[in-house]
Amino acid sequence: MQKGKEKITEDILELGKLNELRILLTGLTQQELERLQKLIRDPHEFAEEMSELLPYSIRKLIEKGEISIEALLPFVEDAMHKSIQKNPQKLADILFPVMGPAIRKAVSEDMKKLIASVNATLESGLSPTSLKWRLQAMFSKRSFTEIVLANTYVYHVSQVFLIHRQTGLLLHQEVASEKVEMEADMVSGMLTAIRDFVHDSFNSKESASLDEIQVGELKILIEQGPYAVVAAIVEGQPPADYRLTLMETVEAVHFNHAVDLEKFEGETDVFRHTSKFLKNCLIKQKKEKKSKIPWPLIILLIVLIGFAGYYLYVRIEQNSRFNRFSTELEVLPGFHLTKVEKKGKVLNIYGLRDLQSSSLDELMKKYKIDSTNLNLQFEPYISLEKEIVVKRAQELLQPPPTATFRYESGVLFFIGEAPHQWLLNAIENPSKIWGVINMDTAEMNVKEEEETQNLQWIIPEIEKYSFIFDMHIVEVNDLQQKQFDSLVRAAVFLTDYNKLYNKELAIFVRSYTNRSGNVEANLKVAIQRAEGFVGLLQQAGLPEDLLEAQVLFIEDLNENIILRSVHFEVFDKNMKD
Amino acid sequence: MLKKKIAMLGAFAVGKTSLVQQYVNSIFSEKYQTTIGVKIDQKVVNLNETEITLMLWDLYGDDDFMKMKPAYLIGSSGYLLVADGTRAETIDVALTLHEMASEVTKNAPFIFLINKSDLKETWEIEPETINHLKSKGWHVMITSAKDNNLVEEAFTLLTQMILAKQ
Repeated sequence: MQKGKEKITEDILELGKLNELRILLTGLTQQELERLQKLIRDPHEFAEEMSELLPYSIRKLIEKGEISIEALLPFVEDAMHKSIQKNPQKLADILFPVMGPAIRKAVSEDMKKLIASVNATLESGLSPTSLKWRLQAMFSKRSFTEIVLANTYVYHVSQVFLIHRQTGLLLHQEVASEKVEMEADMVSGMLTAIRDFVHDSFNSKESASLDEIQVGELKILIEQGPYAVVAAIVEGQPPADYRLTLMETVEAVHFNHAVDLEKFEGETDVFRHTSKFLKNCLIKQKKEKKSKIPWPLIILLIVLIGFAGYYLYVRIEQNSRFNRFSTELEVLPGFHLTKVEKKGKVLNIYGLRDLQSSSLDELMKKYKIDSTNLNLQFEPYISLEKEIVVKRAQELLQPPPTATFRYESGVLFFIGEAPHQWLLNAIENPSKIWGVINMDTAEMNVKEEEETQNLQWIIPEIEKYSFIFDMHIVEVNDLQQKQFDSLVRAAVFLTDYNKLYNKELAIFVRSYTNRSGNVEANLKVAIQRAEGFVGLLQQAGLPEDLLEAQVLFIEDLNENIILRSVHFEVFDKNMKD
Repeated sequence: MLKKKIAMLGAFAVGKTSLVQQYVNSIFSEKYQTTIGVKIDQKVVNLNETEITLMLWDLYGDDDFMKMKPAYLIGSSGYLLVADGTRAETIDVALTLHEMASEVTKNAPFIFLINKSDLKETWEIEPETINHLKSKGWHVMITSAKDNNLVEEAFTLLTQMILAKQ
């Protein structure tokens, strides 16, 4: 038993020594040796091990320059060539996602060159449109080329279909407006049929495909992928890069639904997620409407401006007339203005007026001011202006036509010739004339009695008076009464005149009215005014047969007569029609 | 939604268009058949509460079947072979078309329809012929588009066959 144990111990010691000896000789442990042995005997294991080392070794060899890329190229090219010969579609499918961006990059570069060329051409162009676009670019801070393209292209993509290439089945559809109604399934099928028909009929190459159908302004742009086709219904001319959008959409759909497309068995629900890609294709750009000249608006504006201008002109012109009227009135003898104001179309004048002041008819006529536009509010006063005092003297003293007066510093000078009796009466009481303190007759010649029988002066004296009434008024006011008294002083000589000259002169008392409003009432008032004066003249002693009342409508006259006025005209009864 | 492409194949005037006329939603004129060789119609079938849209590619029937474009058959999930019961020769045309269709569609399901069963007086197809077709394990149905006989059933059966194969 003891011997057996010793034997085992010796063996273990022997093995330990052998191991020590192996490590000393090879530098490898037992396990490492076993692994190497297995690696050599098992080709699969060996290939696995080498696959990790080989790329690293090749890189190292290239770095060291022991082999070159050129040396490897023939092998790679040969392999690719054989692969393409065997199954070209496979390589096309593999390269499809790579080719898209590569082609796009190339096209993009070409487009940039084209745009640069267009830009250069347009830069030198100086057409009105070009200038307009340039201004647009300047104000919108966009590039000039962008503006040119935006103005050039007008398009509208109404629908986009995603169609399974092989079956022609509609996978998904997006429409720009819900108003678009189309049997999309049948249209996509027919589109596929047409594509196949064209392809087969014209013996197109495998790679060639129908990518555009045009019917008038409508275009169907088709972008093919290995498994699916995107078709866009476009109205008008889409931008040049729209084809790129379609290509990106096809790529995105293939990238995201590669398995769904490859194993498509008719289930389309899964493709609803392509909506976001297809919606990118629904673009539109409306060309800005040509700025039509808005004639109706312009005409309206012109008419409005015309009216406004006319109104302004009328107001300015009226103001000017009012100003000149009031300025002239202010310096007229017998008037003292305290306030002048314009309210709308009416000129209001407040102040004082002497009874001897002259009528404003002429002044109103001169400045074309109607009585409806004039509101005169005068209080009576005694004016000591020369003209007024002279007038006052003439009215009171009734000088013959050969005699006149001059007034200076309270002295009334008698000038000309006058009958003796008249002169005696005139100078009898100087104080009866306001403003006259003394009278001076040194410049007056006394005439013989018979010479005083000249009564020619009475006709113009009678005819110079006129009376204006307010509406519905028939009675004369105080001022008018004074004027009437003056009239009477001349009129009473009419009988003497007739006798002296053997005439049959008489007086027309003419009352003027118009036909506006109640004509009958107007006529009645006018008659009352005329007959009123006839009555007053009769009371003053004029015989009835020398007076004749008349009513006239101003519309029937050629001359400009103030409405609601009464005038007097001396006429020869023998000459009357 | 499930959609399937189905082709209608057969000689000229066998009644392909009549077979589907009453059941389909059609927007295209038949003139397309003579111009580009196909007219596409749509038929929605309800099967086990599942709605299936069948896109029917009604191919132009020409006795010179070489004119038919195989491209139109690509992607079909099934097809209806239509022959005219009053013209025996249309069976041969259908058989030739079947050879082409089975190859292009990779043995897609199909039903052999012998149409115009309403014209018994001029019927030319012998029962032996029908039995021979059935002996191949094919589904053969005697239909009449005019009398609406077994038409709907044919579409339903084909849809079932397509779904079963899926």
